[in-house]
Amino acid sequence: MYAIALKMLIGDRGKYLGIIMGLTFASLLITQQSSIFTGLMTRTYGAISDLAQPDIWVMDPKVQFIDDIKPLQDTELFRIRSVPGVAWAVPLYKGLLKARLEDGNYQICSVLGLDDTTLIGGPPVMLAGSLSDLRQQDAIIVNDVGANTRLVKPSPVPGGLPVPLRIGDTLEINDHRAVVVGICRVSRTFQSQPVVYTTYSRATTFAPRERKLLSFVLVKAQAGLDPQTLTRRIREQTGLAAHTSQEFKDLTYDYFMKYTGIPINFGIAVGLGFIIGTAIAGQTFYNFTLENIRYFGTLKAMGATNGILLRMILLQALLVGSLGYGLGVGGASLFGYLLGGTELSFRLTRELLVFAGTAIGLIIILSALISIRKVMTLEPAIVFKG
Amino acid sequence: MEGSPTAPAVLCRAVTKSYVSGPTKVMALRGVDLEVRLGELLMLVGPSGCGKTTLISVVAGILDHDEGECRVFQEDLRAMGRNSKTLFRGKNVGFVFQAFNLLPTLTALENVSIPLLLRGFKKTEAQSRALEMLTRVGLADRLQSLPAQLSGGQAQRVAIARALVHRPRLIVCDEPTSALDADTGHKVLEVFRETALAEDRALIIVTHDNRIFNFADRIARMEDGRIVSVEAQVAH
Repeated sequence: MYAIALKMLIGDRGKYLGIIMGLTFASLLITQQSSIFTGLMTRTYGAISDLAQPDIWVMDPKVQFIDDIKPLQDTELFRIRSVPGVAWAVPLYKGLLKARLEDGNYQICSVLGLDDTTLIGGPPVMLAGSLSDLRQQDAIIVNDVGANTRLVKPSPVPGGLPVPLRIGDTLEINDHRAVVVGICRVSRTFQSQPVVYTTYSRATTFAPRERKLLSFVLVKAQAGLDPQTLTRRIREQTGLAAHTSQEFKDLTYDYFMKYTGIPINFGIAVGLGFIIGTAIAGQTFYNFTLENIRYFGTLKAMGATNGILLRMILLQALLVGSLGYGLGVGGASLFGYLLGGTELSFRLTRELLVFAGTAIGLIIILSALISIRKVMTLEPAIVFKG
Repeated sequence: MEGSPTAPAVLCRAVTKSYVSGPTKVMALRGVDLEVRLGELLMLVGPSGCGKTTLISVVAGILDHDEGECRVFQEDLRAMGRNSKTLFRGKNVGFVFQAFNLLPTLTALENVSIPLLLRGFKKTEAQSRALEMLTRVGLADRLQSLPAQLSGGQAQRVAIARALVHRPRLIVCDEPTSALDADTGHKVLEVFRETALAEDRALIIVTHDNRIFNFADRIARMEDGRIVSVEAQVAH
């Protein structure tokens, strides 16, 4: 009977494709919007992800997320180094500084100042030059996206294409000369500003004069010591906030979830996908059942129990659900793949596949329930009605 | 379940059935008495709205009557649970409908296999028996045709094959020739008499079509929810 159920469904080509289209649309919209949302939220803590070496980030207790800089006094570094269990602790400057470009325009850059001695916290991937080149005079390393977009130089030929920033080019950061010694690749950030790496001491020279300039202290726990234990000790002994990398990511993520309209905007899009998908698929599936009600009645009259009819409808729903889900997720993946190198934030995770699958599952259950109810309560005597 | 050799296939006594539509109550059956014997073809005739379809629905176990008694092979279907009744129908009743009711996306062979699949037969066994039955009704060359590719007469013969393939003991037909021209209707009834009638089987045909009355063993006339006469036919 299951083969017959499938033939009933597939044989009605128009309805069959209509139901699949509805589910594909819902699956595509839910997966795509959720992936963009996840990608966007991942960008909020991109700078934390790029710094793999430290176990712990120490900061002012009022800091709410990675870009919420509340500088510390430089002396805090020494207090942290004195906490038992700290293998090393290095300073990190992080701030938004104004860079003057060759064409006279200004561009805000996210400047990261690394510990002068160890250069801990450097970019994860160097595309040109080397991290140690930061020890040269006025040296900076720029990320490739910044070098190719917002920091480009005007074309030497009038009307020509702008020229990407290269090693040897210079910028002015807060009226200080800066020489590009390397091009790196970093995780995209939420604000999409160019990322500039330099040493801590040079970054504090670039930055406007303030009494406190130490943004974060990056800490490594001694071998065998649980970072959680060390964060507790640092908090207790210094009064500063100390978070493991994951905790700091969560803090940043939670901030954006709570204080920005991002979740609600994407939630609306995902919700709309769900509602429209349910409406299209549910309506079409119900219409399909209604148009076949005489045949369901005939089957009932011929001895099909409600259990058999229920399983037939569920199988039909499962088939269209699986196809719609697969096509939607495939479409969303293709979308992400094709726009992979662009500004689009897109991150399709295993959890999102489960989420989209659950949503589509719910849609087909809702759609099937309406049809099931109709068929279950169907009087087989309908078969004799003209 | 098996009736005694002398017991009628269907026995109705003082059967009533009413439909309620808003404030209106329509009496479709007003105390019907009917007996259908094994081995006979009974035609149920009468004007539209006289209760013929309601009566065969009750007899076939797809509609419960209100009062009276209706036994099919000595079983009181009204007393059965919904599932038991469905299974009883699947085993004992074959249906032929006015509009054929063949599933449009299935081939003739698949349509005829359905009653057997519902009874738990394997697909190959079901299709083998369906093939045999379609051959008996003269459609061995149309096995893979969809209903839309069949003429009215062919479609009705597929419907007859479907009604007989699982060897039910009672076959109910609702206006089986109304969608067919005279010749085709005649041929369909010939097929019916050749393939369906047997000692252990009863046929009830609801019809308006007086051109096929001569195929009946007896004709029961209904008027206004009652059977007003039952006449035996002398020759076929």
